[in-house]
Amino acid sequence: MNGATDERTLKLEGLAKRFDGKQPVVVFEDLSLEVRAGEFFSIVGPSGCGKSTLLQVVAGLIPASGGRVLLGGRDVTGEPAHMVYLFQQYAKSLLPWMTAEDNVIFAFNHRLGLGPRAARARAREHLAMVGLEESAAAYPWQLSGGMQQRVAIARALSADPKVLLMDEPFSSVDALTRMELHALISELWERKRFTTILVTHDVDEAIFLADRIALLTRRPARIAELIETGLARPRRAVETHEDPRFLALRHALLEGLLHRPDEANADVR
Amino acid sequence: MPTFARRAGDLVPGIAFLLAILGLIEVAARTGLVNAAVVPPPTAVAVQLAQIVAGGTFAVPLLQTLATLFAGYAIGCAIGIVLGILMGSVRAIYDLFEPLTELLRPIPKPALVPALILFLGLGSAMKITLVALAAFFPVLVSTVQGARGVDVTMIDMARTFGYRPIEILRQIVLPASAPYIAAGMRVSLGVALVVLVVAEMLAETGGLGGTLIAMQHQFMVRQTYGWLVIVAAVGFTLNALFVRAERRITFWSSR
Repeated sequence: MNGATDERTLKLEGLAKRFDGKQPVVVFEDLSLEVRAGEFFSIVGPSGCGKSTLLQVVAGLIPASGGRVLLGGRDVTGEPAHMVYLFQQYAKSLLPWMTAEDNVIFAFNHRLGLGPRAARARAREHLAMVGLEESAAAYPWQLSGGMQQRVAIARALSADPKVLLMDEPFSSVDALTRMELHALISELWERKRFTTILVTHDVDEAIFLADRIALLTRRPARIAELIETGLARPRRAVETHEDPRFLALRHALLEGLLHRPDEANADVR
Repeated sequence: MPTFARRAGDLVPGIAFLLAILGLIEVAARTGLVNAAVVPPPTAVAVQLAQIVAGGTFAVPLLQTLATLFAGYAIGCAIGIVLGILMGSVRAIYDLFEPLTELLRPIPKPALVPALILFLGLGSAMKITLVALAAFFPVLVSTVQGARGVDVTMIDMARTFGYRPIEILRQIVLPASAPYIAAGMRVSLGVALVVLVVAEMLAETGGLGGTLIAMQHQFMVRQTYGWLVIVAAVGFTLNALFVRAERRITFWSSR
């Protein structure tokens, strides 16, 4: 695989983020990472370690204090085209004055400039992918939490991203809905193969979805471990969770998260 | 204030109370308990009102007032919304305008009439300016509040889809602030009518306020009250229409 030249390869080089002020905070410094083209990459870490901040820096939502983000070998500055972000607070990311369909159209039509009929067709197509064709005319506040997040997923994919950045997008739905959304995102990823970074503190979720997982330390965050999951695809809600390999990974990651805290800074591999 | 579900029978006690008061005034005026030259019997006022309405004499002053009101209101609201969105979104603009607007805002707007008459005379330019000023501040204050309260997730969402700042103001901040803007505009509408009637009375150049003061100067007491009822009806109708429009525009916010 010649990942280096693929335009979906995402590279972080010596990335740093500090918040200056009375009590300066170093969130991370000199973080380097290559996410391969079309890879599903998970980042797990203790809460407050700065994994969400990392994702926001990659997305260009907040500026880096140092280092570079490269997409397909090119420097990423500002809010990059081709990178789409899935928010933890999906309910707040949907526009309440627009129907589900118009929310989806919002993602692409300022770029594509399709006529009303073509735009509608494209939105419907993406709503159908997440099983929400019937709810096209509904307003976000008329939908359940899981359905709202599916609208957000449809909206993200309708922009045809090369990279999908997910910031704990499944953390505020119930367990069953979460597993349904896992299956859905897994299936869509296999179909479209956008490069994906998932930030989460849910170890099961990280393993279930990812090809590789980075375990971050507490602040300043560093990559403590980089693990290849090596689980068979397609992933299956029941079977994958019972796979001995899954359980071993789960064991290792939980050990890493729970028993590493204080010597974390010194422990760099 | 607690809100109650509206039922058809809810209006009965209030209207009965109102009619009782009018009945008492009627009796008091007819029996000489109060001076009928100052407080005419409501039925006499009603007759006068019917004549004003049937004779069509209300039309010209009413249209003058409404035209001035809408011109000034539209200008004041438009500037208030645009500046409010900018002040609520861009820190530097807020810091630039905030001291000025805070200084001008508490001035009772009718106090500006003498100065405005000096600059603009007694005609509609003065009145429109005054109405615009009066409408401007409530809209500005609540638009700023609305724009500052827009959830950052919504804005970040638009940014990640590649929307530029000016597009984000127009397509996210403006609609997201609509409930606040509408609330400010509702307050402004009431204030604008008050200020306009005052200005018309001071300038004595037409409009409902001008007519009202002319009647009083001629000691036409019943007509004075008749025109007062018309002014009240205008205020009531405008507010009712606005509330209906507001509910329709911000349907998504009251859930």
